Amino acid sequence: MVAKSGKNTDSLAESLPFNRDHYKDLKRKQIIRLLLFYLGPLIVLIIFFSIQYNALVSESRRLHLTAIAENQSNTLNLFLSERIVNLDNLIDDPRFQHPPTSSNLQIYLERLKMNSQSFIDIGYFDSSGIQTAYAGPYPSLEKVDYSSEDWFQRLREGEKRFIITDIYLGFRQIPHFTIAVSRNIGSEEIVLRASLDPGNIYEYMRSLEGANEVFISIVNEDGYYQLVTPHIGTPLETSSIVPPQNPRLGAENVKIEGSRITYAYSWLRLADWALIVQPSDDEKQEFFSGFNLRIYIIAASMIILIILVIAFRANKLVEMQMETDRTRAQLEHASKLASVGELAAGIAHEINNPLAIINEEAGLIKDYMDPEFGESMDPERLKEHLNSIQSSVFRCRDITHKLLRFVRKSDVELKTHNINEIIDGVVDGLLVREMRVSNIEIEKKYSSDIPPVMTDSNQLQQVILNIINNGVDALEGQAGQISISTGMNNNKVRISINDTGKGIKPEDMEKLFIPFYTTKEVGKGTGLGLSVSYGIIKSLGGEIKVDSTVGKGSEFTIILPLKPG
Amino acid sequence: MADKIKLLICDDEVKFLESIAERLELRGFDVTKATSGKDAVEAARTGGFDLAILDLKMPGMNGIEVLEILKKEHKYLEVIILTGHGSIDSAVESTKLGAFSYLSKPYDLDDLLKSLKDAYETRMKKKFEDDTERMDEILKMAQSMSPLGFLREVKKLDDEEK
Repeated sequence: MVAKSGKNTDSLAESLPFNRDHYKDLKRKQIIRLLLFYLGPLIVLIIFFSIQYNALVSESRRLHLTAIAENQSNTLNLFLSERIVNLDNLIDDPRFQHPPTSSNLQIYLERLKMNSQSFIDIGYFDSSGIQTAYAGPYPSLEKVDYSSEDWFQRLREGEKRFIITDIYLGFRQIPHFTIAVSRNIGSEEIVLRASLDPGNIYEYMRSLEGANEVFISIVNEDGYYQLVTPHIGTPLETSSIVPPQNPRLGAENVKIEGSRITYAYSWLRLADWALIVQPSDDEKQEFFSGFNLRIYIIAASMIILIILVIAFRANKLVEMQMETDRTRAQLEHASKLASVGELAAGIAHEINNPLAIINEEAGLIKDYMDPEFGESMDPERLKEHLNSIQSSVFRCRDITHKLLRFVRKSDVELKTHNINEIIDGVVDGLLVREMRVSNIEIEKKYSSDIPPVMTDSNQLQQVILNIINNGVDALEGQAGQISISTGMNNNKVRISINDTGKGIKPEDMEKLFIPFYTTKEVGKGTGLGLSVSYGIIKSLGGEIKVDSTVGKGSEFTIILPLKPG
Repeated sequence: MADKIKLLICDDEVKFLESIAERLELRGFDVTKATSGKDAVEAARTGGFDLAILDLKMPGMNGIEVLEILKKEHKYLEVIILTGHGSIDSAVESTKLGAFSYLSKPYDLDDLLKSLKDAYETRMKKKFEDDTERMDEILKMAQSMSPLGFLREVKKLDDEEK
């Protein structure tokens, strides 16, 4: 017993009411809570700004691409209209000879080539659609009948005096396109045609400002490439991008082979072609570069910093919690010793009575054995007196056992208990005689339908003892009643302890649970009982409520959950 | 001693009460037992006790209250307090109220016997002194009064004593 209590004192400094896992768990919860608290808003903010930024970038890219598309299409329109004007000027020249000879046309071709290198050849058609004169590298085309050619018919039937064809292979099997103008000379409707080299146009467009950051392609109404950079397609093949007809100028997003592409387009005025501008691959990669990359680096370093700070803080907090718990455990133990000290006096007295009986019985037996008195005791009476000695010894033993139960410092030990039995352990054990001689009546009003409660009986008994002791003190030696009732409240266990004592003054009420605050005389109370009781009940997941009327008495109510935490 | 010393013992612990009574009876006391303060006060009114032994902590009327009543009602009764709940406070209080001595349980019989002897002597001494005083008064009266008036006065004193 001595060795055990010695060990308990040694372990007091390191005593924690909970094991290490409890604190690990606490730390984990704390970290998660702090992370959510600090990182949550930050991440939301980063995502928000990132989305905003990307929307802005994407909008500005659309505008940029649209501007390039518009610029390029204007240039292309200008180029095409210049070529038409070249042909118009040629055919409307009063010196133009109708119908021209091929050698005449050769001179005209030279003149056109001075305007633009893209002119390949020219041809002259009479009303029947036969190419009556031709100048250029394909002399075999002279005398060929074009009347069934699509463009020729459209020019004849159309309202406009000119036509620009799609790029096609034609008789010569080389990509080219045709600009043709028609005139009425006398009764004949003649046509002057020139074929142009699209490659020349492409080169021209590539040379324009901004053209090197983008891919430029031209598609016709049916979605076939007319002109295209070799990176994304081949002329006269189907384009993956077909821009809408309305509006004539704009920017769109499409998904091609899984990646989102923003492109801008512009339909030309003079030909049924759309100019398409799309960013080169470099631009597509931009999401993880430049500004975005910088944001992510800054955010990542902030997050790492916050995590480090939080881990540090959580450690600190848990350490503080451990310190608090340790202090409380020590305080609790101190108070336990103190309340035991208060009890000790009463218990010593309790022991004196059986000791007096033992003394008396032994003395009596001795007297009968003493020849001086000349009396003798028959064995039956002797047995009676010895039994009385034994039962007094047992009485002493019971008292010391109960005392030891309170002194023993035990760790938190959660088991299921019957609350009424726990209370009886305090009331019937230690206090009943003390009460009887003080003229205090203990009334029990237990409810029988309380389910078993997971709690620490030792600690709970200490709280109940504390409250009953306070009740006894509040009676100040007068006769009175302490009633203990139990019951269920909202699925929680209620223990009410009423006394008919002097009550608690309102000014003391708020200091009730403050450690070392006492209204008792010096040496009578430590001021620890209620503060420790409060700590114990909190750690068991419950609460203590006090209701008191000065002069009438006080009621302490303990509310306990069926399981702590 | 021709007459036994009449002793009243009051204790709520019955076993204790019976044993101590028996022991004191063996030693020649005439013991009356009371298990409560109320019984003790009532027994004292008719018993004509020389001495009383009182326990302090008892249900109902406690020892201090009993002491107060006994000392008030019986001029020459000496009271010894014998308690298991000894404290300086209660010792001081009972001495103030006129208790002859204050012993703690468990006690040494020799101490108790000595205390009882002293208490009885004190009682007898007090009574003797009072008696002597009375005798003196009576003598003075006898010298100054007519025989008839003297007899009247003596009767008055006797009545007073009762």
